[in-house]
Amino acid sequence: MEESGSVDSVESLCSSTTTRSDRSSGPRVSDTELRSKGKATERIYKDPSKGELPLLPEELVQDSAKDVTYICPFLGPVRGSLTVTNYRLFFRSTDREPVFQLDLPLGVLSRVEKIGAATSRGDVSYGLVCKDMRNLRFVHKEPEDSLKKSVFEVLMKFAFPVSNNMSLFAFEYKQVFPENGWKVYDPLAEYKRQGLPNESWRISKVNDHYELCDSYPAALFVPVTITDEELRRVSSFRAKGRIPVLSWIHPESQAAVVRASQTMVGQNGRRCKEDEKLLQAIMDANAQSHKLFIFDARPSVNAAANKMKGGGFESEDAYQNAELVFLDIHNIHVMRESLRKLKEVVYPNIEDSHWLSNIESTHWLEHIKLILAGALRIADKVESGKTSVVVHCSDGWDRTPQLTSLALIMLDSHYRTIRGFQILLEKEWLSFGHRFQQRVGHGDKNHTDADRSPIFLQFIDCVWQMTRQFPAAFEFNEYFLITILDHLYSCLFGTFLCNSEQQRLKEEVPKHTVSLWSFVNSQLEEFVNPLYVHYPSHVLFPTVGIRHLQLWVTYYIRWNPRMRPQEPVHQRYKELLAKRAELQKRVEELQREAANRTATSSSERPGSPTRSITPVQTFV
Amino acid sequence: MMFSGKQTKPTFKSYLPPLQTDLKKSPQLPIKKLEAKLLPGEIIVNEANFVRKCIGSESQDDLWGKLVCTNFKVSFISHNSLPRKRFQCTHRLLGEHDIPLACVEQVVTVNDLKGKQKILGSNQKLKFNPTELILYCKDFRIIRFRFDEAGPESAKKVCLAIAHYSHPADPQLLFGFEYVGKRYHGSTGDRVNGVDRGGGMQTPLFDCSSDWDREIKRTGASEWRVCTINQGYFISPSLPEFFVVPVSLADQDLKQYACFFYSQRIPLWCWNHPSGSALVRMSNISDPQQQRKVEQRISSAITKSHPLRSDVFKSDLDKNLPNIQDIQAALLKLRQICVIDPFEESEEKWLSSLESSRWMEYVRTFLRHAVEVVYMLESRNVPVILLENEDRDLSCVISCLVQLMCDPHCRSLHGFQGLIQKEWVMAGHRFLDRCNHLKKNDKEESPLFLLFLDCVWQLWNQYPAAFEFTEVYLTVLGDSMWVPIFSTFLFNCPRQRAENSRDFASSKSIHLGQDQALRFPPVWDWSQQFSLKDQTLFNNPLYVGKIATCVQNGTVKTFTHRRSKKNYSSTLRGLPSALRNGSLGPNDTLARRNSLVLRLRSDLSQVREQQETPSERFIRDYFSHPVDLQGLLLPQLLPSHLSVWKLYFLRWVPEAQIPQGGPITAFHKLSVLTDEIEMLQSQLRQYKGAGSTPNNLHAEHSKMYFKVTSTPHQTPSPPEYLSSSFPFSPVGNLCRPGILGTPLSKFLNGAKIWLSTETLANETF
Repeated sequence: MEESGSVDSVESLCSSTTTRSDRSSGPRVSDTELRSKGKATERIYKDPSKGELPLLPEELVQDSAKDVTYICPFLGPVRGSLTVTNYRLFFRSTDREPVFQLDLPLGVLSRVEKIGAATSRGDVSYGLVCKDMRNLRFVHKEPEDSLKKSVFEVLMKFAFPVSNNMSLFAFEYKQVFPENGWKVYDPLAEYKRQGLPNESWRISKVNDHYELCDSYPAALFVPVTITDEELRRVSSFRAKGRIPVLSWIHPESQAAVVRASQTMVGQNGRRCKEDEKLLQAIMDANAQSHKLFIFDARPSVNAAANKMKGGGFESEDAYQNAELVFLDIHNIHVMRESLRKLKEVVYPNIEDSHWLSNIESTHWLEHIKLILAGALRIADKVESGKTSVVVHCSDGWDRTPQLTSLALIMLDSHYRTIRGFQILLEKEWLSFGHRFQQRVGHGDKNHTDADRSPIFLQFIDCVWQMTRQFPAAFEFNEYFLITILDHLYSCLFGTFLCNSEQQRLKEEVPKHTVSLWSFVNSQLEEFVNPLYVHYPSHVLFPTVGIRHLQLWVTYYIRWNPRMRPQEPVHQRYKELLAKRAELQKRVEELQREAANRTATSSSERPGSPTRSITPVQTFV
Repeated sequence: MMFSGKQTKPTFKSYLPPLQTDLKKSPQLPIKKLEAKLLPGEIIVNEANFVRKCIGSESQDDLWGKLVCTNFKVSFISHNSLPRKRFQCTHRLLGEHDIPLACVEQVVTVNDLKGKQKILGSNQKLKFNPTELILYCKDFRIIRFRFDEAGPESAKKVCLAIAHYSHPADPQLLFGFEYVGKRYHGSTGDRVNGVDRGGGMQTPLFDCSSDWDREIKRTGASEWRVCTINQGYFISPSLPEFFVVPVSLADQDLKQYACFFYSQRIPLWCWNHPSGSALVRMSNISDPQQQRKVEQRISSAITKSHPLRSDVFKSDLDKNLPNIQDIQAALLKLRQICVIDPFEESEEKWLSSLESSRWMEYVRTFLRHAVEVVYMLESRNVPVILLENEDRDLSCVISCLVQLMCDPHCRSLHGFQGLIQKEWVMAGHRFLDRCNHLKKNDKEESPLFLLFLDCVWQLWNQYPAAFEFTEVYLTVLGDSMWVPIFSTFLFNCPRQRAENSRDFASSKSIHLGQDQALRFPPVWDWSQQFSLKDQTLFNNPLYVGKIATCVQNGTVKTFTHRRSKKNYSSTLRGLPSALRNGSLGPNDTLARRNSLVLRLRSDLSQVREQQETPSERFIRDYFSHPVDLQGLLLPQLLPSHLSVWKLYFLRWVPEAQIPQGGPITAFHKLSVLTDEIEMLQSQLRQYKGAGSTPNNLHAEHSKMYFKVTSTPHQTPSPPEYLSSSFPFSPVGNLCRPGILGTPLSKFLNGAKIWLSTETLANETF
């Protein structure tokens, strides 16, 4: 069924997809569902003949089957019916009360496969591997009519539309939101906020048509002393043409965070005088320091090994006043393997006796630590050392955005707001060409693709670690981060599609799809951290020791029904805010009364209590 | 000359009388400051000048001063006028650099030139002149002093004095005796040390029969009575003078049974569940021939006191829980990885080392066992006997945890203190031995009380709004064990207190007057240690705020003493409190977020039934409803649910500190809001009362440490001094501008931070 009214649709979207993460770890109860979701869903659930399924605009049922058994790792076998649409998989139990449901976007599937041969009774087992830390298993009787497709074959088709020459659901979905999220990021406005252009930094139009570098954005900020011609020469010396350009500039010291890819030094130690000049110019643009720090995200061994493939790193001979630091962060393959191990440890069940050492053996937190430590060193150099920094890895689109965006969050409180964080993602990740399509593999059935890696998830995890250490420094809550991750995979919104700004423009993604920020910004109150205190120009220096890092259990273990949320402090805080608002109202009423009384009676006027008229915060 | 020109270092000049007599400055001159502040009864034993206290790992931050050993503490009086930060919680008995001798775990002297070191005990000799003294403290601090420029003989002497006085030969040498004894020397000035028993103390001490009577009434245990046969400790040496027994047992029977139990410990009543099931603790019966008979008599008496005459369930703690040595070993390992191992090295294996310390495992085991007992009381509705060999260790932890989970009264400050008084102090937990105050028998030392506090912290961490107190309170309570003046932590049992203080009084010819024994202050008299302002750090804004949300028409309905209904889940469970409150519309976002909780909680109702035991089903059922913070509180016990109590264990580690961060920043925000709510309420009351002018009484009576600012249009930013270690500080409260020069920046530059000599200290030689 289609929703027409915008309020209703937001509601149904909210309860069926985004909130899936937080709200439905699989089993659900319909009556609480009813209470929670308001009218729109109530209508749907009250009429089972209509299919019980809250459909999104342009979402169409493709196939359904009764008598499917879901082998739940927590509940055991659950019998029910399975529906596949062009957007989701929906399973609803028929054998138990309260009803159990599974509702997930097909985008989270990375792999669907038949396990073993059919049993004597004709039962076939299917395993579904998901990108969001769970695996699902179903058992289904094959249709006797061999011409009829099994529901799982239909599922495979719609789960991997790209492999089947179809378009992603994001291109079908036509929801109208009050705000257009594609307008959140305006590069020039963002650089202007940083005070750019200024006497040292100019905007260059050299990449206006993505000719210099097809994975970079059109708007690039470079030192004024470097010409576009020189930039072109630099581009042939940097991997994939990703030249050093400005990411962020310190409002006071003018120390800059610059990002790039590796230099193409090769085994013969090639040099490029324009590149050397550019780095000198970056250093000169900051009068506070006569040094430049180059942070190479890689372990030094890997950086050296890259010379064999024509890459490499800046030699201290060629770059006189620069100091090169390796940050020892491993590559995408190591991270993918680490997350795979983590999944084994946390899903489906947690081993009671070796929990901590099992977590340690995945090295996941160690990687998180190295990334945060790297970002911290960058932020420290910029803030405390007033020195400009150049950050790169190999291609400058995985570890580099992790480091720059985390350093920027530490340095600039604007990026800790909800909208500022959106801008940060749009800028550092999307416009600078983190290869989302490749790393996530949207709609692609090739699950063994070596280009897939949880780089962005790792970054969000690092952000979450910081929100734990500074509970009042971020405007957004955990639910915001989980929502972003869920829609990284869902393919409902266009935000995380394609590999670069150029590709998104070519595919007209903003024209044909909805931005995740349209959805988020239309219901901001869901994502607000009530404890947030905005204090500008405050730099966060997180503690990056393992002691203060924790596994993000509410994300990684959310499917385990025993892992339930703890008593939320945030909610109590909201209750207190409401209480304050109520009391303020009453005090004000009494004040008014008292004022009236004294006005009518005598000159004996009560002193006005100045502290009582505190403005009520807007999110109450 | 050995002194460099560095300004911070002392010169001989500083010992000359000041030439310029500037009236304003003279009180701050070093010569004045180098006096140790002494308490009544405290005497200086030895001292050394020109001692350097190491702060951080760079000598530039070190402090210079005088090291003093008294009969109470190791004191360091600094030449440097430290930039004192106003946040610092000032301890009334201890200065910033003071360590009570009872807190010193190990005294290590080092001569780094000769490469020698020695762990000093009492009455030992030292063959080398120490260049360095390292004090390992029971509260996880490690403090280092260097004697490079101190006289070698005085350095040696002060080290020997510290070692000697931290190993008192007799309980009466513990400082509390001198301190409290002084009180009786004054002619009528009865309050020399502020020891004041009755006034303002709302915590029942359970040392009189009326406290027990009240507890019987409070829990509705009408079939139980106070028994007085142990008055004068004539029956059992380790039982209190007053305790509670089933009404069906006559004094004569009890006297007869007493001899069968370990230390004549007649089984003790702890508490009654609202359903009428009692929680009882019992020691083993020594005589196997009598065992069955006596056990049966006791059990049937307990059954008779049960409204449904239910049979008793016995829970054998020795079988199911780690023993005291295991727990001690776990703490030592935990301490090793938290503060002794070099930070960077322990980082790599932190999680697996934490696991192999087994501390977290033990915390979980105790909590899980308590949940099992709760299940018997709550769901099976049977009386429970906690069975432990001596009934003085494990039972204390379990009986307290059970009561904390079941009885919201125990989660209030006074309820909690009364609980500890009842189940630890009066029940005869051997604090003297377990704390090893006399350092006589290391095998008897065991951190059971700390383990209990950690268990409470886990509950607190999972349900922060259910407790009246904060984690600062729990931490400070743990630290108070090492301030040897409180009746709470000094003795093995009430009788020992009575006897020791009588002996001490007669040996010192102290006239006790009307008192039976010296009146040691209980730790609950917090004003002994902290100002009223600092004590507000104990108040949990979430809890206080909750009281605030119960206000109707200006009157506060406190729920803390309300008896829970027999059926906790009846009406209160159905709706989240925000909705019951009526202050929010059902379409509010809050309602939606709430329903999310509801839905998640209901998941468990579907766990397959064939696999689960009845107690598992009970737990599953519990979590299928929203938790009522005023009702039953069960912890979630997957290993992933428990965390390290960072404030307690990591507060002294500079590298582990989060500057301007940590949970305290949320606490700050909550406090300010709660303070504002309280202020509005007091305004409301005043308006309603006389319609008169609101005055500023509020500011003085606020329960919150952090208060609402006078400029309400500004959102208050957390103060700069906050850190995850607050109100403690690992770096001696030095003001530092950035992170330059801090351990963090050293870490960033790849330096090893902790000092390698400290690992040596644990080696034997």
